[in-house]
Amino acid sequence: MPDASAPLSITVNDRVVYPNQGVCRVTAIEPMEVAGQRLTFVTLRREEDGALVRVPQAKVVAIGLRKVATPEDVASIFAFLKADSDKADLDWKQRARTNVERMTSGGLLGLTEVVKGLAVLSELRPLPTKERELYDTARHLLVAELSAALNTAPCNAEDAVDVILFPPGRERPKRTAEEFRQRADVEGLELDEELLGLDTDLELPAEEEAPSEEEAAEEAPAEEEEEAAEAAPRKRGRPPKPKPAEAEAAAPKKRGRPPKAKPEVAEAAAPKKRGRPPKARAAEAEAAPAKKRGRPPKAKAEGAEKGARKKK
Amino acid sequence: MIRVVTLASYDEKQLEKFCRVLYTAFGVGCEHTGPLALPPDLKDPLDAEQALARAPLVRSYADDKVLYLTPRKLKDRELPSGTAPTTGFALYGQDKALLSTYGVKDLEAGQKLVARHAMQLLGHLWELHHCLDPRCAMYPPWTPSYPVGDAAFCTFCRDKSEQKIRLAKS
Repeated sequence: MPDASAPLSITVNDRVVYPNQGVCRVTAIEPMEVAGQRLTFVTLRREEDGALVRVPQAKVVAIGLRKVATPEDVASIFAFLKADSDKADLDWKQRARTNVERMTSGGLLGLTEVVKGLAVLSELRPLPTKERELYDTARHLLVAELSAALNTAPCNAEDAVDVILFPPGRERPKRTAEEFRQRADVEGLELDEELLGLDTDLELPAEEEAPSEEEAAEEAPAEEEEEAAEAAPRKRGRPPKPKPAEAEAAAPKKRGRPPKAKPEVAEAAAPKKRGRPPKARAAEAEAAPAKKRGRPPKAKAEGAEKGARKKK
Repeated sequence: MIRVVTLASYDEKQLEKFCRVLYTAFGVGCEHTGPLALPPDLKDPLDAEQALARAPLVRSYADDKVLYLTPRKLKDRELPSGTAPTTGFALYGQDKALLSTYGVKDLEAGQKLVARHAMQLLGHLWELHHCLDPRCAMYPPWTPSYPVGDAAFCTFCRDKSEQKIRLAKS
């Protein structure tokens, strides 16, 4: 395979591969003025339909433009197709991401991996529309490049691929999800161990380990305190606050704001009702009859009563 | 337009039926253009690529597809990855294909199989690749289940062929 990091020397009439576009022929390398800048452009013509593409020469390597594969590269591709590495990713998200990356990078091996991976997956179940389209695109680009590399008809190039993927006189095997799952599980376990780094020490936050330290300090006599402090590994951050004995006996701390302390009376009282609080009534008031509405009756003086008797 | 050119004598009625199947499959007109002959120096089994290159030209227009029918055997192709059993050959994305009816008694008896092969070659002319669905006519023809299937495309290939036909220049 050609080295991607190496500078690409292109001359007119060279056949190159533009990632995701296919085989193109270099028709010109000429300086042009674009937006006040003078740049050298490589003009390509797509062989399939004659579409014109212009690429700044400085970006030729960055976009993944490369020369058409050699017959040796093609031989390695056929060897890869023949190899019994029938892996298929059952996680559709992961699969889609990987396939898009392979297509964007534009390598011949990447295209072959997409074709083979999806062909193997189709032995399990029919491909969804998007993946079927991706398979078709990858196959189209692969066949076009193989045809250009081997200087043969596209029909021959396609049959050369399919003679391997669909061997003559043999039906494709029917696969089950279990086959793929078992393989994925084994690979997943290996990956998890590496990623998690289970053999290294985990550093826990200081607050969570504080109670054990305190307990040790309480149990140990005063003489052993210093030794215990020396033996215990020092932790980063603020030292834990000493907690009262009640707090230790209490249930483990919950996150968030601590609950307000409620007085005993309040606990005994009935739950509060909404609205205006009722007025406090005196015992006498409760005994008295209910007040009548309207103007209060006039207070009658004793003198007035006497005057009335005189008139009579 | 699909033009069927016979390189030997075939029954006219059977050819008419064959053309009707292709018309149904692609939705474009199909007719028997006439019998013609291959150059006499081509020996059996025929090299498909060479025979197609030297096949007699017929009058056709832009986007017409020409299908040559021959009863002669075609030679299996030696490819870098192995030997491909050959029943036909198409110029991918172009306008000419060659189909052999060798091994088929007549078009009446083996119509389904011949139509299926013809659909595949014409599909290649409309830039269709081999399909993953064993029921589709674009499935690789050397597989054991291929002769059993119907002369029909899967949904994906039918849509793609229709799209290609719609986008034709003419």
